[in-house]
Amino acid sequence: MNVLKGIISEIQSHEGISLVKVKSNDFIFSSIVLDTPDTADYLKQNKAVKIIFKETEVIVSKDLNLKISVQNQIPCLVKSLKKGILLTQINLLADRQIIQSIITTNACEQLNLKENDHVIALVKTNEVSLSADD
Amino acid sequence: MIQIAIYKMLQTANGELPLDISLTIEKGQFVSIYGNSGAGKTTILRVLSGLTKAEMASIKVGEVKWDDTKKKFHLPIQKRSIGFVFQDFALFPNLTVKENLEFALSKNDSKEIVSELIELMELQSLQNSKPQNLSGGQKQRVALARAIVRKPEILLLDEPLSALDDEMRSKLQDYILQIHQKYNLTTLMVSHSLSEIFKLSDKVIVVDKGKIVKEGIPETVFSEQKVSSKFQLTGEIINITKSDIVYVVQVSSGNNIIKVIATEEELDQYKVGQKVLVASKAFNPIIQILNKLT
Repeated sequence: MNVLKGIISEIQSHEGISLVKVKSNDFIFSSIVLDTPDTADYLKQNKAVKIIFKETEVIVSKDLNLKISVQNQIPCLVKSLKKGILLTQINLLADRQIIQSIITTNACEQLNLKENDHVIALVKTNEVSLSADD
Repeated sequence: MIQIAIYKMLQTANGELPLDISLTIEKGQFVSIYGNSGAGKTTILRVLSGLTKAEMASIKVGEVKWDDTKKKFHLPIQKRSIGFVFQDFALFPNLTVKENLEFALSKNDSKEIVSELIELMELQSLQNSKPQNLSGGQKQRVALARAIVRKPEILLLDEPLSALDDEMRSKLQDYILQIHQKYNLTTLMVSHSLSEIFKLSDKVIVVDKGKIVKEGIPETVFSEQKVSSKFQLTGEIINITKSDIVYVVQVSSGNNIIKVIATEEELDQYKVGQKVLVASKAFNPIIQILNKLT
């Protein structure tokens, strides 16, 4: 589970759904939740929140300029790789934070991922959960 | 109903800390006290039992006052209707199990309760053994029985099972629940184990740095719906197995057993028996129609 700290910078709500922008270091995450400021206390501008997403939902791209619908595209450096038979865990350094990704070992080999590679970590907006950080 | 208000300055490793709590417990309730070490949990039990005096204590059990420091009233410990079990309860080593229980009787009490407890706690085959020949779990079973011999109104348990292994612990929990119900006790238990608290208690009090920070039924206190995910369930970890570089954590929730992937780094926090909240976003699950007639 990746848990990063951030501050809510923007909330856009419509019919019970909110699109929330959360600033974490220099990166702005986008998350979509089935809540609005009326239904959830933590949904407030400038509120400290935890940004939570599963390792297995983190896509890794070596192509740095993607035309793709995924909103969270975090520039990272590959810190280390833990290769298994079927799965590989990649520790990525984003700014000053570690993001972990788990992809198939096949995918890792096809991309020929190595330490110190520059990559983009991709996380879909609907894979990012938020939680009050108190 | 038991009404408790206590103020006492505690001496802790980090200096002085005021214990300042007030709480109300219904008769027959099973209440757990949860919190970090040094938060004042044991002191609450000790003041209630009369073992420790507080600067300010107002304790009323039903219509009877046990403590009222304003009026300089303190009911002596032997007049308080309590049973107490600690983590390491000292049994009399020179007495047999049965004699240990009989020793706890008041002068004019009938010995009937002793045989009743021996049967209830399944101590028949051990009743003539000396404590040195008993296992940890057996000793605690005797200690529990002994705490009940005088049929107290209140049973105080201070981490009574923390030195036991999981299996023994679970068995003893069943015995505790049984005597709590059979003898219509009001029970206060200090515990660090969430699964134990979930299994036994009607109410849990979370104590932090001398204050009650949360109270309520365990489900509400421990699974506050703070995370935005809408697909949530609470359950208990029943198994953890390694699969390639990840781990499969099996969680039992109601009639369902679900599986969740975890990384090696996360495993430090996960243990079999632990109560957990499993969450996913409303956007992920798929729905399939059951009982489709073709």
